[in-house]
Amino acid sequence: MNIITRDSLLYRVWQKVQQGERLSLEDGLVLFNTNDLIALGKMAHYVQQQKSGDAVYFVLNQKIEHTNICVLSCKFCDFAAKKGTDKAYEMTTGEILSKITPEIREVHITGGMPPDWEWERYIDIVKSVHQKFPDADVKAYTAVEIDFFHKKFKLPIEEILRQLQAAGLRTMPGGGAEIFTERVRKLLFPQKIVAKGYLEVHKTAHRLGIPTNCTMLYGHIETIEERLIHMIKLREAQDETGGFLSFIPLAFQPGDTGIKPKNQFTSAVDDLKTIAVSRLMLDNVPHIKAYWVMLTEEVASVALNFGADDIDGTVGQERIAHDAGAISPMELAKEKLIKIIQEAGKIPVERDAFYNPLNVYSENVIGKIPYLNSVPFYHHFEKGSFKILPVVPRHMGILSVQKQLDAGLFSLMDYFEQEESLELIDWCIATRDQVKSVMLFSKDGWADLHGKKIGITDDTATSVKLLKVILENKYNVRANFERLHRGVNDYSAYQAILLIGDEALKRNKFGLDGYELIFDLALEWYNWKKLPFVFAVWAARKTLPDNLKNELKQDIKKSLEASQGHFTEIGKIHDSRIGLSPEEIESYLEGFNYHLGEREKEAIREFRSLVHHTHANR
Amino acid sequence: MHLKDIRDKIQQGRRITPEDALVLLQKSELLDLGELANEVRYRKNPKQDITFVIDTNPNYTNICNVDCVFCAFYRHAGESGEYTYTVDQMIQNFKRAAANGVTTVLLQGGVNPAIPFEYYIEMIERTKKEVPEIHPHFYSTTEIIGMSEVSGLSIPDVLKKLWDAGLRTIPGGGAEVLSDRVRKKMGHKKGTSEDWLNVMREAHKIGFKTTATMMYGHLENDEEIIEHLDRIRSLQDEYHGFTAFIPWSFKPGNTPLEKIIPHFASPIRYLQMIALARIYLDNFDHIQASWFSEGKKIGQVALHFGADDFGGTLFEENVHAEANFVNKTTVEEVIQLIHDSGFTPVQRTTLYERIKQYKTSSKI
Repeated sequence: MNIITRDSLLYRVWQKVQQGERLSLEDGLVLFNTNDLIALGKMAHYVQQQKSGDAVYFVLNQKIEHTNICVLSCKFCDFAAKKGTDKAYEMTTGEILSKITPEIREVHITGGMPPDWEWERYIDIVKSVHQKFPDADVKAYTAVEIDFFHKKFKLPIEEILRQLQAAGLRTMPGGGAEIFTERVRKLLFPQKIVAKGYLEVHKTAHRLGIPTNCTMLYGHIETIEERLIHMIKLREAQDETGGFLSFIPLAFQPGDTGIKPKNQFTSAVDDLKTIAVSRLMLDNVPHIKAYWVMLTEEVASVALNFGADDIDGTVGQERIAHDAGAISPMELAKEKLIKIIQEAGKIPVERDAFYNPLNVYSENVIGKIPYLNSVPFYHHFEKGSFKILPVVPRHMGILSVQKQLDAGLFSLMDYFEQEESLELIDWCIATRDQVKSVMLFSKDGWADLHGKKIGITDDTATSVKLLKVILENKYNVRANFERLHRGVNDYSAYQAILLIGDEALKRNKFGLDGYELIFDLALEWYNWKKLPFVFAVWAARKTLPDNLKNELKQDIKKSLEASQGHFTEIGKIHDSRIGLSPEEIESYLEGFNYHLGEREKEAIREFRSLVHHTHANR
Repeated sequence: MHLKDIRDKIQQGRRITPEDALVLLQKSELLDLGELANEVRYRKNPKQDITFVIDTNPNYTNICNVDCVFCAFYRHAGESGEYTYTVDQMIQNFKRAAANGVTTVLLQGGVNPAIPFEYYIEMIERTKKEVPEIHPHFYSTTEIIGMSEVSGLSIPDVLKKLWDAGLRTIPGGGAEVLSDRVRKKMGHKKGTSEDWLNVMREAHKIGFKTTATMMYGHLENDEEIIEHLDRIRSLQDEYHGFTAFIPWSFKPGNTPLEKIIPHFASPIRYLQMIALARIYLDNFDHIQASWFSEGKKIGQVALHFGADDFGGTLFEENVHAEANFVNKTTVEEVIQLIHDSGFTPVQRTTLYERIKQYKTSSKI
């Protein structure tokens, strides 16, 4: 891809983006100051497509604001009321539960900070929602509220989060970040926690396995530089923990706040620039959200081509933004969200709180494994009739069973399970001997793992079977497997950890603390069977029309041919993300055989019979 | 033809075919289309300027016998809510507008056979004489056809009399989508595409300048959008009489079409229309985006998709209002909206002459 721009400074930043280089504050200023909105948008869209393909996520969610009584007085807030005033309200747990319907997948709970609620009441809300609606993930309490609990109930932040987690809290919203500079904080919300406090709450949550969102409130008194400082602070925190799921730039709604004239909303150009710049600056945050309630549906829909890959959800009730005069309607039906996403040329993907795909509303969808070893298939892929959905191997399997995907690179186990409905197409991901990205990090040798607990990455479908086959058939060892959750994990409970993909590749180089032994599963297999190992195969649904199958075959062939011999180019784009040098990436990719030949087919047969005839199939 | 070849063509300044346009519309990523449109826009108009006009859109009658299914404005004679204003009343209206800084009056009405031809002539003559600050931008093609029927004069003769009375520009409304399949479905009495083009052709021959419009988002398909663009591009090749092209989306409220087409076309579609028009209409100087028809925010975005004009202030507007679509602004707001989009606002006349430049853009 290339961009045409009259802005030579912008072009220089574009060259960095293409190389996967991290952008500086100065680069960010160039981005914000450009007049070439389209070129900026294209740069952000390029990164968006690398991260999310054509997917745009939405969730069936319900927002609960349990009370508007608040001890703080933030200048930009039209929502808060003082206890005893006409506007003040408090919801009972029963009232909260009555707002939730069974189809809801995420309940978003935030509110004011009343002077007289007991700690148990907050716990009870989470527990009751979680128990009554187990399919709905509870996303509750901003960092500002957590800090309030910490001070009011004299409990350490970690203890507060542990108790909420035990009650059923799954993720946390990102509200309350506003703008991380002291100048703005002192002027607009002097009683709120400082940047450090906000980040500390989030990082603590991440370490406990509670992923969170992060936000920025823009369009009031902040400078462009302050916006960028804000983004960079979030980026640094993300480097430490990796627990932010999405970043949400929130357009300030002036209303009666008195900060700006009542009807002076942010300009659409500023909204789109802010979305695009955040996509480019926050290179380590997986998702950027265009929050339609504040942006308006129209701008949110355009933003899906400017770096945003999430449009939030049905929301249910949106009292905070509405009180300050947001011009969107209170509810958007699911159908409407789907329509908005489709009109933007994207695939609507209904998600859960962790961005696992639940439903895909599009035809001709190809699954893309988001690992480095699959990049040669997609790097030069010209989409033509197809749309691309990035999914980890296990979800590719699930979506394919549900007939929500038409083709893709399937994990071998998923192919076995769906052989009846799938047709192989010529290519695969097979090792020659070692693989470097399906690794068991262990405290013990193979024989000593008997009866021990092994943590298994949640993303795998085939590697976990390969591990079982090796343990049981090669070493005659039985271990207990336990799935890890996505995001940050506490590994201390496990004797060994199975990681795959880029995470494994990174840990293979840098090691995983406390696990001295590192086993390459493909090498174990090769030394044992003298065969390659096939991790994944390209397959299309048998019902896909022949012309599309042929188009797909041509597309894959062309992309692969264009990539082969140029693996350093791929290396240069992905090196900083994975932490390997371009040369290491080149040698890693050269270790694969992408053509499904006779030896690979033999390896598939051998593995199939082992899976069928051992305990590994249980 | 492959997208890449079409891109090359556009970048080399060569004309694209209807087939190319279809590929662009259907296969191009939104921002790739915008990028190409911008290239064409800055080639024609290298300044970071966006023009606008201070105007108003009053109506002299809402009685109409054309019965278009997309229209919520018209009434039949004798129906409640119908009106026809006298020339005196309209002149008063124009005077009030002039006092508010208006330079252009875009005047249109229903096709009301009870109004004699002299009324239209008198309206122009008295405007020129009594409200000289105002540039009359009067009467759509449909009304001009109506005048021809009322007066028994040919279209060229009607146009000559309007010219002699002092009219110099004609609004481009009523084109809808210039495809006979679509027009038959929408209002059989409105005439064929050729009727609209014919009035415009005759007007351009005499020396009138006009705009060209397109109202999309109802019964048309992609091919018909391109047919529309192609027909006006061909006519423009003949006399270069069009000043600007103005697309807007159909507003279904209170119209007979509402049941079939309940929603506005998407903002993405609008941006595509603006960009495609800029690329396809290589012989047009100006493409107009509007704060009015698609909302202020999308209007701002459209300025980055190849448009170089932000339309008028539209102090009075009754047609969309009858479809429950109301959007108001002030001169100050229009200036601010353009400025906040990263452009320099420039006030213009109906004929796109510059009147006044406002503060230079300081980015966002």
